[in-house]
Amino acid sequence: MLVAENLVKTFPGVRALDGATLTLRPGTVHALLGENGAGKSTLVKLITGVYRPDQGRITLDGTELHLGGPLDAQRAGIGVVHQERNLIPAFTVAENIVLHHLPGRAGWLDRARMRAEARRCLELLEVDLAPDTPVARLSVAQGQLVEIAKALSLDNKVLLLDEPTASLTGDEADRLFTVVRRLRDSGHAVVLVSHKLEEVFAVADTVTVLRDGRSVAEAAPLAGFTQGQIIDLMVGRAFASIELVERTVDAQAPPALHLNKVSTALGHREVSLWVRPGEILGLYGLVGAGRSELAKAVLGLERITAGTVEVHGSPARIRNVGEALRRYRIGYVTEDRKDEGLFMDQPVARNIAVTVWRRLARAGLIPDRRERALAETYVERLGIRISSPQQLVGQLSGGNQQKVSLAKWLAADCEILIVDEPTVGIDVRTKAAFHELIAGLAAQGLALLLISSDLPETVVLADRIAVMSDLRIVGELDNDHDYPRMSQRVIRLIHAETHVEGGVAAT
Amino acid sequence: MTLTATSRVAGPGRRLWRTPEFTLGVIAAAGFVALAIATGGNLLSAGTLEAFFRFLAVPIVIGLSQMVVLAVGQMNLAVGALTGFCAMVAAWLMLEAGLPAPIAVLAALTLGLAVGVANGALVVLTRINGFIVTLATMTIIQGLRYGVNGPDTFQGYSEGLRAFGRASILGLPAVFLVAIAVAILVALFFGRTVTGRQLLASGGSPFAARLSGISNDRSLIIAHGLSGLLAGVAAVITVSASGSVNATIGDDLLLPSFAAPIIGGVALAGGMVSVVGTLLAAFLVRLVDVMQAQFGINPRWVDLIIGAVVLGAVLLGTLRQRIRERST
Repeated sequence: MLVAENLVKTFPGVRALDGATLTLRPGTVHALLGENGAGKSTLVKLITGVYRPDQGRITLDGTELHLGGPLDAQRAGIGVVHQERNLIPAFTVAENIVLHHLPGRAGWLDRARMRAEARRCLELLEVDLAPDTPVARLSVAQGQLVEIAKALSLDNKVLLLDEPTASLTGDEADRLFTVVRRLRDSGHAVVLVSHKLEEVFAVADTVTVLRDGRSVAEAAPLAGFTQGQIIDLMVGRAFASIELVERTVDAQAPPALHLNKVSTALGHREVSLWVRPGEILGLYGLVGAGRSELAKAVLGLERITAGTVEVHGSPARIRNVGEALRRYRIGYVTEDRKDEGLFMDQPVARNIAVTVWRRLARAGLIPDRRERALAETYVERLGIRISSPQQLVGQLSGGNQQKVSLAKWLAADCEILIVDEPTVGIDVRTKAAFHELIAGLAAQGLALLLISSDLPETVVLADRIAVMSDLRIVGELDNDHDYPRMSQRVIRLIHAETHVEGGVAAT
Repeated sequence: MTLTATSRVAGPGRRLWRTPEFTLGVIAAAGFVALAIATGGNLLSAGTLEAFFRFLAVPIVIGLSQMVVLAVGQMNLAVGALTGFCAMVAAWLMLEAGLPAPIAVLAALTLGLAVGVANGALVVLTRINGFIVTLATMTIIQGLRYGVNGPDTFQGYSEGLRAFGRASILGLPAVFLVAIAVAILVALFFGRTVTGRQLLASGGSPFAARLSGISNDRSLIIAHGLSGLLAGVAAVITVSASGSVNATIGDDLLLPSFAAPIIGGVALAGGMVSVVGTLLAAFLVRLVDVMQAQFGINPRWVDLIIGAVVLGAVLLGTLRQRIRERST
C-alpha cells in the first residue's frame, strides 16, 4: 500500500500542494481528480520522484520512501505513463520496452532475452504486437500500450496513468480500460488521472479529489458519488471576488476581431468567436484543447484551411506576426514568455521597443535615448519594477517579466490583444494586479481575447466565456461573474462534450 | 582601438573593468609589451610595426565575417574559401579580362555578397543546417577556385591597387584603417540599426523574434549575405596587400575566422556580438603569429596554441554563463 501523507510543495510564489494525501491500495483503480492547477500533476511528480516534497512523507507498505529522482521511484516499483509520449521512434517495440534495463552478455546486447522480456510484458497486457516493429510505425494507441508495457517490465506495483485517453478514440480507450482492469485484478494499484468523469466512473473504484492543493475527498469509494457531487467537490464554493474597474461594452459595436467558422491545418473545426472593442472574451479550455494554436493561426503562424478572419468588419489575410501587428494592430502575449515572449539576455528597453524599432529609428539608426524614453513610459504605466531600462529581462521576477511581455504590444498601439495564460507561474498578489491591468486595458477600448486554463481568472475577467475542447468551441456563455454557477456550467460543457464524443479526439 | 562596445549591453553596476573586453584588452596590451621587450624593441621599429598592422587587416575582417553569422546562431565554413575565390576572380578580371582595378574590386565585393546570399537562401529554403550548407559551398568554391587558374599564381596586376596595399596614413597601413572602418560600420549596424537588432533578436530567441513580427528567414539571409560581403572585403585587402594571388589563398583562414569572435566572447548560440572583443582577439592571434616568426617556432605549434585558446575561450564562456544562471 502506497500512502502519500500531507504533502506540501511550494514553487516560487505558488503553493502547488498544501497538505495533499493520497492512499493507494493494491488491486484497485484509483481516480485522481481536480481542476487545472489543483495540484494533480505536482502530486504525480512527487510520487514519481521528479520533485521532492517540502513537507509530508511517502510510505510504501509502511517503509518511508526518500525519492531522490525518477530512478528511485522506479526501483521502488512506481511506474508512470506520462501524458506526452516518451518512446524513441527509431527503436523497436522491444527496445523501447526494456530500455531501462537492456539485457546484456559481456557488453553485447542480448537480443533474444530482450525480445522474450518484451513479449512477456505484451502478453501480460494481451496485446498482439510484434516486438521488432519500429515504434514510429505504431498508432498513438499502440504507442500508449507500449508505454504501459514498458512500465510493467519494471515489475511495478503502482502504475500512474496521466490522462491516458487524451489522444485515444473511444474504442481504443475501452481496450485500454480492459487492460487497466486486468492489471487491477492481478494486484496492481493503478492511478488514473483524468478529466473525463465518464470514463472515471466506468473504470475507477476509489477517488481522491484535489482542490487548491488539498485533498477534499480521500480514497473514497466512487460508488458513493454522483458526477454532480464530484464536480461540486472539484470546484468548491469558497471564492473571493476582486473589485475591478466598471466597464460597459457597447453591445452595438461591430466586433474588432471576428473568427467565422475557422478551420485550421492543425484540426480546428469551424471555430467561430468574436470580440468587441472594450470587451474581454474568455477562451477557456483544458491544456491541449487547441487555444494557443488557434491564436497562432489568427497570427498567420498556422495555416487556416477554411473560414474567415475579420478585423473591424473587413476580411483579413494575415500571413505573419509583422502583418498582424502593423496592418491589423493585433498583438499576442504568449503563454511561454521565457522562450517566445522575451529576449531574456537583452535589456528591458529593447524588449519593449522590439515591436516599434522601425518607428523609433531616425535615418535608419535607433537612438538609445528614444528607446529608453519609450520603455520608461510603459514601465511607469504598468508599474514594472526595474532598476533601470538597461536591466536585463532575465533578472526580473516572473510578474515583471510578464508585464514587459505585455508592454511591447501596448507600445505598438495594438487594438486587439490576445493574452495567453497571462498569470501562469505568477504569485497571488501580482495576479490580482494583473487582472486589474487587463480589465483596465479593456476599459480603455482594447478588444481582449483572454486564453486561460484558470477558471476563477476567466470568470473574474471575461464578459463572455467561450469553451474550447478538442479543437472545437463547445459552447459560449454570458458571464454573470457568479463563480459557483459559472464554473459548474463551464465544467459541464467540457464534460458533456467528452461524454457525447466518448473521448474521440481529433487527430 | 577606442570603439565602444555598442552591441554588448552594460547592465547597471557592470563596470568597465569587469567586461570580458577589458580583460582581453589588458591581455593584448601585456602580450604586446612582452613581445616588444622579448624582441629587444624590434617589434616597435617602423617597418615591423607597420607589417604587424598590415597583416592584421584580413584577420579582423574575416573574424567579423564569421561574427555576423554567429550573431544569428549560424556558422559559415566557407569564409576562407570564399575570400580566396573572390581574390582569384578580382586578379583574373584585371589580368586576363583587362578590366580596371575599381571594377575588379566591385566585382569581388558583389561576388562575395552573392555567394553569401546564396548560402542564406539555401539555409532558408532547404532548412538544412548552415554548417552543412556552408561546408558544401566551401567545397564547391574550392573546386571552382582551381578552375579559374589551376595552381598558377596571378601577379603583376594593377599598380594602383598594390600601391594602396602598401600605403600608410599617419604611420598606420591603409588596409588596416579599412578594416577598422569596416569594424565601426559593423558595430553601428548591430548596435543602432533596425535590421542589425533584428538579426540579434533572431539569434537570441528565434521564437520570440517571430512572435515579435521579425522574419527569421530574412535575418538568416541578411547575415549570410553580410558575411559573404565581408569575405569579399577581405579578398580585396588580400589582393592589394599581398601583390600576388594563387589558388591556396584563404585556405588557412577558417580557424582564425572562428578564433577572433570566439576568443572575443561572442556567443556561439547567437544573439550577442562583440566587435571590440573580435578586434582584440584578432590582435592577440596576430601576436602569436609574430612570435612564431620572431622566434622561429614551428608553425604547427601556432595552430596548436590558437586551437587551445579557442577551446579555452569556449569553456570560459560556458562557465561564465553557468555562473550567471546560478546567480539569477
